Amino acid sequence: MTQPLDGLKVIEIGGTVSVSAAGKKFADFGADVIKIEPPQISEVRKIAPFPDDIFHIDKGAVHLAFDTSKRSIVVDHLTNSGKEIIQRLGSKANLIIMDIPAKEALDLINIFKDGDSLLTNIVTITPHGMTGPYKDRIENDLTLFGWSTRSHRHSITGREPLRYGPYAGVVQIGSTAAAVGMAAIWGSRSEGMSRLVDVAGVEALMGNVDSGFFLWAVNGALQPRSAGQSTGLYPMGAYKCKDGYMLFSAGRDPVYSRLCNAIGRPDLSTDKRFTDPVEKPKHFEAFKEILEEWLSTRTKYEAFDELQEKGVMCCPVLDASELENDRQSVHRKSYITRNQDGIGDITIAGPPFRMNGLHSDAWQSKPAPSFSQHTNEILEEYGYSKQETIALFRAGVTT
Amino acid sequence: MGNASLEGLKIIEMTEAWAGPVCASLMGDMGADVIKVESFPRHSLTRPTSPRYATMPGDGPVYERDALHHQGNRNKRNIAIDIRTESGNQILKKLLSDADVFIEGYAAGKIEKLGFGWKDVQKINPNITMISIAGWGLEGPYKKMVTLGAGLDATTGHLSLRGYPEGDFVDTHPNFHSDATGSSTIFFAALTALLQRQKSKTGTFIDLSQWEGLVWQFPTILAEWTMNQRIPERLGNDDPHIVPHGVYRTIDDDKWIVVAAEDDQQWEGLCKIIDRIEWSEISHKYSSIVGRIKGREEIDNAIESFTKQYEGFNAAEILQNNNVIASPVVTPPDVLLSSQLHDRSWHQTITHKWTGPVMVGGFLWDVEPDSLSWDIPTALVGQHNEEILIELGYDEKKISEFYTNGSIGNHYEN
Repeated sequence: MTQPLDGLKVIEIGGTVSVSAAGKKFADFGADVIKIEPPQISEVRKIAPFPDDIFHIDKGAVHLAFDTSKRSIVVDHLTNSGKEIIQRLGSKANLIIMDIPAKEALDLINIFKDGDSLLTNIVTITPHGMTGPYKDRIENDLTLFGWSTRSHRHSITGREPLRYGPYAGVVQIGSTAAAVGMAAIWGSRSEGMSRLVDVAGVEALMGNVDSGFFLWAVNGALQPRSAGQSTGLYPMGAYKCKDGYMLFSAGRDPVYSRLCNAIGRPDLSTDKRFTDPVEKPKHFEAFKEILEEWLSTRTKYEAFDELQEKGVMCCPVLDASELENDRQSVHRKSYITRNQDGIGDITIAGPPFRMNGLHSDAWQSKPAPSFSQHTNEILEEYGYSKQETIALFRAGVTT
Repeated sequence: MGNASLEGLKIIEMTEAWAGPVCASLMGDMGADVIKVESFPRHSLTRPTSPRYATMPGDGPVYERDALHHQGNRNKRNIAIDIRTESGNQILKKLLSDADVFIEGYAAGKIEKLGFGWKDVQKINPNITMISIAGWGLEGPYKKMVTLGAGLDATTGHLSLRGYPEGDFVDTHPNFHSDATGSSTIFFAALTALLQRQKSKTGTFIDLSQWEGLVWQFPTILAEWTMNQRIPERLGNDDPHIVPHGVYRTIDDDKWIVVAAEDDQQWEGLCKIIDRIEWSEISHKYSSIVGRIKGREEIDNAIESFTKQYEGFNAAEILQNNNVIASPVVTPPDVLLSSQLHDRSWHQTITHKWTGPVMVGGFLWDVEPDSLSWDIPTALVGQHNEEILIELGYDEKKISEFYTNGSIGNHYEN
């Protein structure tokens, strides 16, 4: 069976984590994704971990996970010869996604313009967008998160704000770009018009949920920067159990009452100390003691099963060593192991959604390409002779 | 008239909280006709009937003024149906009969009991794409488990590495990152299915586990274990291979700035600004990244000595002008200080029946030539009941009957 996106051509330019994340879903669902990498080695290939802590251009974990099923070509997009290659590749593409500085992106957009029309769909990813006084600023995952308002809330009053996990922000931005890129493809297929989409990382993060701006803008509310356990509405946050922690989202009824019943203390669901909004914060420690005493005799998985059986929203806090063997992951094959040239077996996450059945071949993860693996192949495919290919290499346009 | 990329598509959204509703709004932004089938008479999680911290000022019912609801429900029409009733069931069938996409967010197995599992929906409309977004998906031992985004975060390994390095899990704030990223995954899934339909001429079903939609985004967490048998440590804002890479105090109490220098060029720019130019000269140990990694604490102190003299936006401006990665840590009110966002007219002002004109955050992207527009503020419960039912072929008498027998509604009992 063919894959859902067979026949689509997507060009990815920039080699960043964001653009690599953006191209991944297209590639794994069957599109021909050509990853145009800069001669200076893509950012995504430089990120640890590496097997046995030995760095290698083709062995970085983020590259291995995000560049699956793609083809790699190296092109210096700053040269005219490089732009000519990109023009030739892009003119046959359904979508170009690029994450390069705004002024460089503008140069590339111009080669796809025919008067006021655009010859193909283009999505640009930049920190602040293609216009405005900050358009040329340089940012990274940490600063983008700082801009998003999410870093501020992810902290305790008086202490430094924190990011989420590494690259969480830029991956979200890439995923956003992929979504709107799909919309542009759909639009051009149905009405024949190509679109130029400007994804500003700050706006993509701040405009989505989990940002504090909307709430403040509409009612002036600033969410508290408290420790993880809410002391006003509880239990919310992580609580210690026999072998680790449980994360609760059980502060509101009916879930709170279900919890009280489940731990054998139905009285707590009507006790004004724990139900009256004014009284409740005063008795946080007392409640915590009761809950943690119950948890102390159970492992996190025992507590998870027992409490979820009663409809209590809670989850075990898992670390990296526990992910692959989690029952749900095993059942659904949420992680896959496959062979990667030069490494052997590697394990990465499976499909982000299941289409045409739980284990259909709609999603296929083919090995991530080595650096420049397909340069010759792609240049030949797009009409370059062998001597022209050598000339491009000799001029430093490809490598 | 806004963007028309998805014009002609009809989306039926029956989800709550954020990932599903936001996805549907994003489709509405791009021109799809999105109809939210609102839970009735049970009110949804984001439509509380008594005031809480997220309630927006204004008159009218509390459930129409909840900010958490408004945040995820622009650019949709709203019909409130009790699908447990015979008439409500028939209305939903009619809605689905010519829809392109049906997104449902019930706990696994619930939608089948209500008569709208994939086998049922396929009979109603063989060309439809149906997406179920249960937390852990529709198959597997956790399929009946219930969770919010914070729970999904905990089970991906993400929570275990967020937070202060010396802290405990109790200090780590639950987050809703899965909701923030889930919307774009659902969006992508829907369009993947529609593109497939162009070839297959038939609809499809998508089992979208929000956990699986989140976990692929954290490859380093898993790889630390599978490649090197290490459990990633909580590093706060540090990066083991980049110095400086941190958050520093500014002149204002409890206000902060991010500063990073990822290469020698950025480092040199930073040294000039913090009055340590000798630290970038070849003879100095900090001129090399290897030296800087060993001197993280001293470097952080020197940077903070500089940043503590300035307000965050000003310090970031100075640093950026010298090719240094820097940004203020923005609080919600600070957003209004960004000349960039004003220049791009990012903020939107919308007028809602019960809240009046309010400023809100803008779109996730901008499009040329047909830019986005906020055509429909968050709809009231059942605001478009009549309009939609007439489109479905019902007359006024029948609609009145639906109100009387409780199949539809336009308000909740407090």
